[in-house]
Amino acid sequence: MTLSPGTRVRARLADPDHHTRVPGYVRGQTGEVVEAAGQWPLPDDRARGITPPRVETVYSVRFPAAGLWGSGTHWVVVDLWESYLEEAG
Amino acid sequence: MGAGHAEQPAAVRVRHLEERVLAAGLASDGEMDAVLARLYAHASPLNGARIVARAWSDPGYAARLLADGNAAAAELGFDTAHAGSGYRLKAVANTPGAHNMIVCTLCSCYPVSLLGPSPSWYKSLPYRSRAVREPRAVLAEFGLDLPPDTQIVVWDASAENRFLVLPARPAGTDGLAEKELAALVTRNGLIGTAAV
Amino acid sequence: MSRGHDIGGQTGFGPVPLGEDGQPFEHDWEARVYALNGVLRARGLYSVDEFRDAIERIPPQEYLGLSYYERWLRAIETVLVEKDLLAVLETG
Repeated sequence: MTLSPGTRVRARLADPDHHTRVPGYVRGQTGEVVEAAGQWPLPDDRARGITPPRVETVYSVRFPAAGLWGSGTHWVVVDLWESYLEEAG
Repeated sequence: MGAGHAEQPAAVRVRHLEERVLAAGLASDGEMDAVLARLYAHASPLNGARIVARAWSDPGYAARLLADGNAAAAELGFDTAHAGSGYRLKAVANTPGAHNMIVCTLCSCYPVSLLGPSPSWYKSLPYRSRAVREPRAVLAEFGLDLPPDTQIVVWDASAENRFLVLPARPAGTDGLAEKELAALVTRNGLIGTAAV
Repeated sequence: MSRGHDIGGQTGFGPVPLGEDGQPFEHDWEARVYALNGVLRARGLYSVDEFRDAIERIPPQEYLGLSYYERWLRAIETVLVEKDLLAVLETG
């Protein structure tokens, strides 16, 4: 999966039973890819001592405040590993 | 409960832990001293300020900084990509219509080497919880009142990006040398909780 | 996992404590905790994610009451014991 800037994505709703780096406030929320931010080991694997950990692209994704909180005009950009995301179409 | 009471158990526990760790050979005094010496000697907001002043003075450098923060930092001698604590340095530029601010809601991620040790408020529950939800109210508490039509972008450092805000160059600074420009830049400006 | 550390967007924590803006460490023991973690991480005894995981497993009602470096202290103790690098610590 390669996501180009502008692609609409949704942060997965899954709430795994271990360490992860998806802030709860974006779970299930739709945003837009700003850019790819390189390839990095997946924290979920590293926290569980899985070697080698999966290495995935991290995407900076921007979410409109109104979608997150019901009000506000700002953007919140969150960096999310590829497997935290699905395309929103 | 006074600060002394709150401090005592932790201080005792740390001493106990340190003794056990040293006795087990998991760390040495010399290594611990070196960690702190490196923090005090090299981690400073003066580093971030130098990067900003260069970007204000040299449009080519500013473009390179926004395209590849690590390479631009390395041009000035700052190593941000080394093994162990390497990160992707992402500079985000303020413009007349847009203002950036940095937070880490999940812990307190922060580019210590370029901004110095993070202030306590950056690690506090109020800042971490509120910055993403009501940035304008948070900025007002810092004394930064932005025009209503300024677009605020809050960057939550949830992965391996470490952010540095490139503030807008203040008006009336045309004649200043790079060193003088660097002296204008504050740590809060580099986090986005001050204009410069 | 939804844990006590995941506070982005929560309300009720009050104003940002702007007064806390001085030295990197308020107490000497905080610097020792910082140094300990730096060495243990540099030696590869645990990963940053194992460390964060240990912080996040602090029960939320305690997490919210602990200071930043108290959480670090607790996490170092937890990780070293869980990895059998130190026998169970008396933390009382």
